[in-house]
Amino acid sequence: MIFREVEDRDLIAKARKGDVEAYNLLVSRWDKRVFNYLLRLVRNREDALDVSQDVFLKAYQNLPKLDDAAKFSGWLFRIAHNEAFSLLRRRKPNGELDREPVAGGVEGRLLPLELSLAVESALKLLSDDQRDAVLLKVYQGFKFDEMAEILDCPVSTVKSRLYTALDVLKTALAPSVFKEGL
Amino acid sequence: MSTTSCEQFDWKAYALGEVNPAERKAAETHAKSCAACHEELASLRVTLDAMATLRDEEMPRRIAFVSDKVFEPRWYQRLWSPTFAGAMVLAAAILVHGFVRPSGASSIDQAQIDAAVAKAVAQSEAKHQEQMDEVVAAYDFLQKQFLRGYVQTTGLQRQ
Repeated sequence: MIFREVEDRDLIAKARKGDVEAYNLLVSRWDKRVFNYLLRLVRNREDALDVSQDVFLKAYQNLPKLDDAAKFSGWLFRIAHNEAFSLLRRRKPNGELDREPVAGGVEGRLLPLELSLAVESALKLLSDDQRDAVLLKVYQGFKFDEMAEILDCPVSTVKSRLYTALDVLKTALAPSVFKEGL
Repeated sequence: MSTTSCEQFDWKAYALGEVNPAERKAAETHAKSCAACHEELASLRVTLDAMATLRDEEMPRRIAFVSDKVFEPRWYQRLWSPTFAGAMVLAAAILVHGFVRPSGASSIDQAQIDAAVAKAVAQSEAKHQEQMDEVVAAYDFLQKQFLRGYVQTTGLQRQ
């Protein structure tokens, strides 16, 4: 992992000097993670792909502004977060982000779905902000302080969103979990 | 799940790996003796394990690289490139100069050019003629020298 980080740093340094091939390699290392983060956030495959494209183009254009190459992943996901929420806001012109009802969920009407499908359904119960926090923490492994930088909010807000989301997920997934025998 | 865990422990932070080693050890010790906290921790772990079953999808198609043709500037974007714009300004300047130049200037310039060319040609021809005269004179001299020598050695004289 450490070796990989050093390699990324080296690629970033080369890309900053105009080495396009180095940047291409960097893209091929991160595109799947960014795409999956965006896919679960915007919940549309084509949109996720388009936004991923924009993210990597913006990252390339702004690479000289990246102060610390070691913070590349957080910086990249911050761009991804901003682009995704820009799209989500465009979808909802009144500025109101998605706030689906939390109560109810899949509890009490458990369907014979695979656990992963149940998780996908449960994630849809979250607001955009809550889902974003879960994706960054559970699926991308960022620390609270890194998430605060990506989301441009205090750590307390990050924790609040995440903890509320976990409560929702815990409740929503309980029937599925017990049925699958985990 | 109806029980309430002890508030002194942040079990979500624990389950998400956000506690330091000392806090982790204290929490684990406590969970062994507290049923409510044990249940809270177990339910969080089960939830996170369930979430881990969601796998990343493969990319439907690869991200276009910066070096790909899709990122090459379009024809109208090229117009803004400094080299192309410079060339266009120069071409425009030449074109404008050709149109706005006073009409009389053209004939005057041409007459001057014709006169200069005629003068240069005359000078060149004169110089060429001079060289030819020198060559002919030298040839005549050599011929006379040859004949004089021939007469002296053979005793013959031209009739």
